[in-house]
Amino acid sequence: MADDYFAFFGLPEKLTIDADDLERRYLGLSWKLHPDNFVNAEEFERNLSLERSSQLNDAYRTLRDPVARVEYLLARKGVRKEGQTKQQAPPELLEEVFELNESLEELQMARESGGDGNEMKALRDRLQAAGKSFEEKLAEVDEELTAVCAEWDAAIDANADEAKRSTLMARMNEILNRRSYIRNLVSNVSRELEESATA
Amino acid sequence: MSRTVGIDLGTTFSLIAWVNPETGKPEVIPGPYGTALCPSIVSLDEDGRIVAGEAARRRLLTQPDRTIYSVKRLMGRGVEDVQDELKIFPFRIDPESRNVIRVRLGDRFFTPPEISAYILREVKGWAEEFFREPVTRAVITVPAYFNDAQRQATKDAGRLAGLEVLRLVNEPTAAALAYGLDREQRGRVAVYDFGGGTFDVSILKLIAAGEGDIYQVLSTCGDTHLGGDDIDNRLLEIAREEIRRDLGLDLESYPETVQDLRKALIAAKHELSHSLESNVRFLLPEGMAYVRRFTRDEFDSLISPIVERTLGPVRQALSDAKLKPAEIDEIVMVGGSTRIPLVRSRVEQVFGRPPHVELDPDEVVALGAAVQAAILTTGVQDTLLLDVTPLSLGMETMGGVVAKLIPRNSTIPASAEELFTTGVDNQTAIELHILQGERELARDCRSLARSRLPVQPAPAGLARVEVRFTIDANGILQVRARDLRTGQEQSIEVQPSYGLNDQEIERMLIESIDFAEQDFAERQLIEARNEAESILHATEKSLSDEQSAEIDPAERQRIEGAVAALREAMAGTDYKLVRTRIDELNEATTHLAELLMNHAIAAALEGKRVAEI
Repeated sequence: MADDYFAFFGLPEKLTIDADDLERRYLGLSWKLHPDNFVNAEEFERNLSLERSSQLNDAYRTLRDPVARVEYLLARKGVRKEGQTKQQAPPELLEEVFELNESLEELQMARESGGDGNEMKALRDRLQAAGKSFEEKLAEVDEELTAVCAEWDAAIDANADEAKRSTLMARMNEILNRRSYIRNLVSNVSRELEESATA
Repeated sequence: MSRTVGIDLGTTFSLIAWVNPETGKPEVIPGPYGTALCPSIVSLDEDGRIVAGEAARRRLLTQPDRTIYSVKRLMGRGVEDVQDELKIFPFRIDPESRNVIRVRLGDRFFTPPEISAYILREVKGWAEEFFREPVTRAVITVPAYFNDAQRQATKDAGRLAGLEVLRLVNEPTAAALAYGLDREQRGRVAVYDFGGGTFDVSILKLIAAGEGDIYQVLSTCGDTHLGGDDIDNRLLEIAREEIRRDLGLDLESYPETVQDLRKALIAAKHELSHSLESNVRFLLPEGMAYVRRFTRDEFDSLISPIVERTLGPVRQALSDAKLKPAEIDEIVMVGGSTRIPLVRSRVEQVFGRPPHVELDPDEVVALGAAVQAAILTTGVQDTLLLDVTPLSLGMETMGGVVAKLIPRNSTIPASAEELFTTGVDNQTAIELHILQGERELARDCRSLARSRLPVQPAPAGLARVEVRFTIDANGILQVRARDLRTGQEQSIEVQPSYGLNDQEIERMLIESIDFAEQDFAERQLIEARNEAESILHATEKSLSDEQSAEIDPAERQRIEGAVAALREAMAGTDYKLVRTRIDELNEATTHLAELLMNHAIAAALEGKRVAEI
């Protein structure tokens, strides 16, 4: 039970989860399992409570996050291994990524060499605009992920065969790789914007 | 059964409180001087005896060389961490100190947990006097932003003071708990806790569930070296500079005068909380005097940078909780420094509403600790605290980079599992370096512990060791390892980077003068009997549970046999035998406990209410 977060909450292996329902289940289980209830219990029971309640918190932290829950499912099914995720630019974005990186580097260099105010502002504006476009792409990827998740849930309901499930998981994995690539870009941009603002 | 108390082990003052069963309300317990505030000061007198509290505070002026205050700043820290404090605080650190600082009082050296233990023992004595009964169990509060080593040091202090520490509770959480009793509060609460030496801010969500009230901490942030002390030091710095400049007197060689001056400036600080000006008239050596008028405006501008430093963590905590200031329903003020008008007005500005100041900001943490102590021991489970870990837990990987295992603000208990293998043939151990902090490089994070996982010599990559890192409900790390090839659980030795190991604590317990005065065995017997009582109670409850019908008669008989054996041992005076019988009973009920736990989980999932497990 502990190694299956979905089962821990008594949920099917589906990816659309109602946040309020999940919280209710989480709080209900917390009342039962929290170490505070076992202060006067035997050592074995105290240890068991520590183990179960930490697993409960780990499970809740994972399942309440729509992306973490997909990553968890894929890792559990052996589709996605930590450290083996591909970090390469999606081909259709290559050109834009190249431009974004260029304006990132330019701003960075200007900041490090103490560039003048006007130049910095122009570079910042350019980076901001490029960053914005990637933020929009991130939102699109999230929508894409939500859609595949819904397909997955339908496949579970229809008791679909392994082949169907594998195809869906491969698609989710591909989306996650793309997502993590874009998200890295976005956070690099916001970090640079922050640093150059205080520079 | 002995009494259980809540203790606020503060930088400047410590307090002890309990929940009065007649009123159901928490109350602080006053000491012999009529006040419930026990100065967190310890002194070694000329006869080699330790005094703590008010008696030590008096000696701070006459015997500064044998007296220490603000020791909380040193808890769980290494010598290299405290270099900044040494410039400001008159700590006399043993230059030979290694992973645990040793402080000199007169001609002897003490570790910070030992000194804190004397403070704990002082307030424990107050409570024992008050109850006319021994006090053996306590909930102790810690700053929410305390790291693992600081928490462990606090727990060690409790143990050295002869207390079983039932739980370490974060100070802001305790404060929220104390407030929650008085009013029908629901929604999102920010606790701003600005004490003598530490600053914390926690954002909580209060939930009324069917089972009772849940206090869920969403995020916490802070600075364990920011407090009223810093304001005092700022004033002292100014006064010393002015004395040097205007009177040509350097106070370097007058440590007693510096302590005295500090006291006068603290009095001025207090006065400025309710007056618009304060006049300091202070007699100096060589017949001189320091006369100085501080206005509220000047004071505000002097301390403004310190107050602003608290707002960074406030913004961080809000952003981690994914909330905007306007989404906070209530703000609770804790700690003596929140009496300062500038602090109140800045907090009000940030949140756009006035904070709560109804409860005494010095007492509120101890009151909350008492409430938690009552929750833990009376069996009335109508309130549940879900707290978080303030700092991310990580592990050093290739190139000195930190791999995060448990992110900050994760609800505790929390855990993470990692699989390790060997990189070269016939490797006999895997080295682990565990860290706490948000930075990406190991050298920028706080080193918690190093450990070696022994492995059987084998070709590279064949070993499979699963390591489980668990942060318990006190915010303290536990590490367990399992060899997946042999299935064997390993108890691995974790060498704390900063802190006492078990042997050192045992030795201190034995060496401790106070302890030698007491009858050690008698105390052990009382504690063993207390523990036995609670285990017997728990076992009876388990056996009377209808689900226990599932166990076979032989198992039931084994448990009943162990119960009888324990009762017999309790009638005697051999505490070791009582301990042995407790262990045996634990062993006998292992399967039953697991069975009941699984039923409880299943029942909870079906939405059934199981009153008690």
